[in-house]
Amino acid sequence: MLLSLAFRNLWRNRRRTLLTLSAMVVSAALLILALGVFSGMFKDMLASATEQYYGHLVLAQPEYHLRRDLFANLSVDIANHAALMNEPEILARSPRLRSFGLLSRQLSSQPVELLGIIPELEQQVTSLQNKITVGYYPKLEDRNGAMIGQGLANKMKLKPGDELVFVTQAADGSIGNDLLIVRGVFATGDSRNDNNLVLAPLPWLQDVMVLPGRIHEVAMILANPMLAAEVADRLTPRLPENTEVLAWGDLLPEMREVIAAYGVSRMIIVTILYLATGLGILNTFFMSVMERTREFGILMAQGMRPMAIRSLVLLETLFLGGIALAIGLFCGALMTLYMQQVGIDLTTYITPITYAGGTILPRLHAVFEVANFLVPAGMLLLVSLIAGFLPANRAARLDPVVAVRED
Amino acid sequence: MSIYHTSLIRKLLPLLVLLSILSGTALALDIQSVIREVEQQYMGTSSRARTTMQVKTSHWERTLEMEAWSLERDYFLVRILEPAKERGVATLKRNREVWNYLPKVDRIIKVPPSMMGGSWMGSHITNDDLVKANHIDEDFHLRLLEETETNYVIECLPKEDAAVVWGKIVYRVRKTPQVPEQIDYFDEEMVRVREIHFDDIQQIGERIVPLRLTVLPLEKPDEMTVLHYRELVYDLDLDESYFSLRNLESR
Repeated sequence: MLLSLAFRNLWRNRRRTLLTLSAMVVSAALLILALGVFSGMFKDMLASATEQYYGHLVLAQPEYHLRRDLFANLSVDIANHAALMNEPEILARSPRLRSFGLLSRQLSSQPVELLGIIPELEQQVTSLQNKITVGYYPKLEDRNGAMIGQGLANKMKLKPGDELVFVTQAADGSIGNDLLIVRGVFATGDSRNDNNLVLAPLPWLQDVMVLPGRIHEVAMILANPMLAAEVADRLTPRLPENTEVLAWGDLLPEMREVIAAYGVSRMIIVTILYLATGLGILNTFFMSVMERTREFGILMAQGMRPMAIRSLVLLETLFLGGIALAIGLFCGALMTLYMQQVGIDLTTYITPITYAGGTILPRLHAVFEVANFLVPAGMLLLVSLIAGFLPANRAARLDPVVAVRED
Repeated sequence: MSIYHTSLIRKLLPLLVLLSILSGTALALDIQSVIREVEQQYMGTSSRARTTMQVKTSHWERTLEMEAWSLERDYFLVRILEPAKERGVATLKRNREVWNYLPKVDRIIKVPPSMMGGSWMGSHITNDDLVKANHIDEDFHLRLLEETETNYVIECLPKEDAAVVWGKIVYRVRKTPQVPEQIDYFDEEMVRVREIHFDDIQQIGERIVPLRLTVLPLEKPDEMTVLHYRELVYDLDLDESYFSLRNLESR
């Protein structure tokens, strides 16, 4: 009875209710869209760092990531260690050897970071194959085929088929040097990768560095990147001594901070927006309660208890919140879907920005994330209840004798 | 008398000042030439040398046999003879540029400025050492820090505009025969980071030179490079054309 009464009361001032409702719907829907776009931006950033270079987890000797010591190497067999094979969260593993050296062609030389990789494994961990502008991803059979970044290609005026010399310090103290042939050029938008990174087959680099059968790290990709720290902690004790598994958050501490801060800033944005919406709801219900003072007085005079009056008003706000939520979520999801599928290209206005070790791409693009729906939804109901509580209390505390006389 | 005396002093004063300045410059010139002689002791106007370089690091140890030519302070060519795997690897220094020849790929590579601080042939000698060592007297302010009966100790502080990697260099040079004993290198925080010790003093023609130098990187106590001159011949008939890129590739 209370329910249907509350529902009918809601539509007694149709215009006012619809206005409040629309404010709630719009704020919820826009919030969901904005959060989706934010999430998209962070996902791009994280992906640029992990899916273009690090992977989600990296197994190496302790401190290798800090010092990049040539001699801190491991047997290539570690990539197939049982602890890694048995971890269901790990989707792919790529053994890598890293070398810093000089890439030289005729009179121009550039310092580069060269990763020796097994192409078919590396392509499951990083996604540079999707960023190729010209040529192709070198195959293992290419022996000394290389893939270089666009920035490097521009600086040294390189195209597929060109010959380069790579010179580096080999592990036996000699000057490791050999020819490389450019097979492909990639462009990620991340200037560090585009200007410095070179990929070449692992056996070739092992040969040049005189490190047969050795690697520096195993990069891995996970089903859920947010579980990286957990999985890393779980793996390290099961692996041989002198190895360590690091999560992307350890390798990119700024990125971890940024993403952790996102959780907080999401709450702040939601709170600010809903404060305004909440005041709107508060206003509506105060008005509605004031108008109905006489009605409440009569109801109470007929024996309705204050508790029921309070519930009645609270139910009204909850109904309003519920309806707003349903429509808002639907509209928000619809807009997020559009931004996910189509998005907005900003390439003509801005260039990629490198921030906290990742790259923010010049596009607006949303992703679906459960928290982006749950947080606005939960908060909307909460705000409705809080905003409804004051008017409900006021109605419940009316003195029937006084209230009945009210006009 | 007293008037005459004062005026005499007055007349002589400029001369006295001039004399004192001259003696000062004479001293300054002296330490400059001491440093220059230390840095060019293996070069003379021109030279050819056979050297053995032993490099010991915590990960590997190796010995290289090399042949080197030099002309004045500006030209220097060195070629590896042993081990066989690296035979023919060569370095050419022309003025302040360094080039490497790599026979395996048959290419000449110019060492870019960013790599000048890097190790030369895997040793504890850097490319910068090859280029800048014999310009010490130009890039640094020299000062006689201490003079004992047997030694000079000369301190070198970089000139403001000099592009150098050291914060300070201290030379300890024996007076007779005038040969270096030790050079200490300090980084920009004035921490001593490298020492070079000289020994095996021999007479080569008219010169007396220490034939062995030991480079000790102090951050890595178990590492060192020992460069030993097996043969050293001065004043050959060499000219600039010998130090060409074409000659770097040949042989």
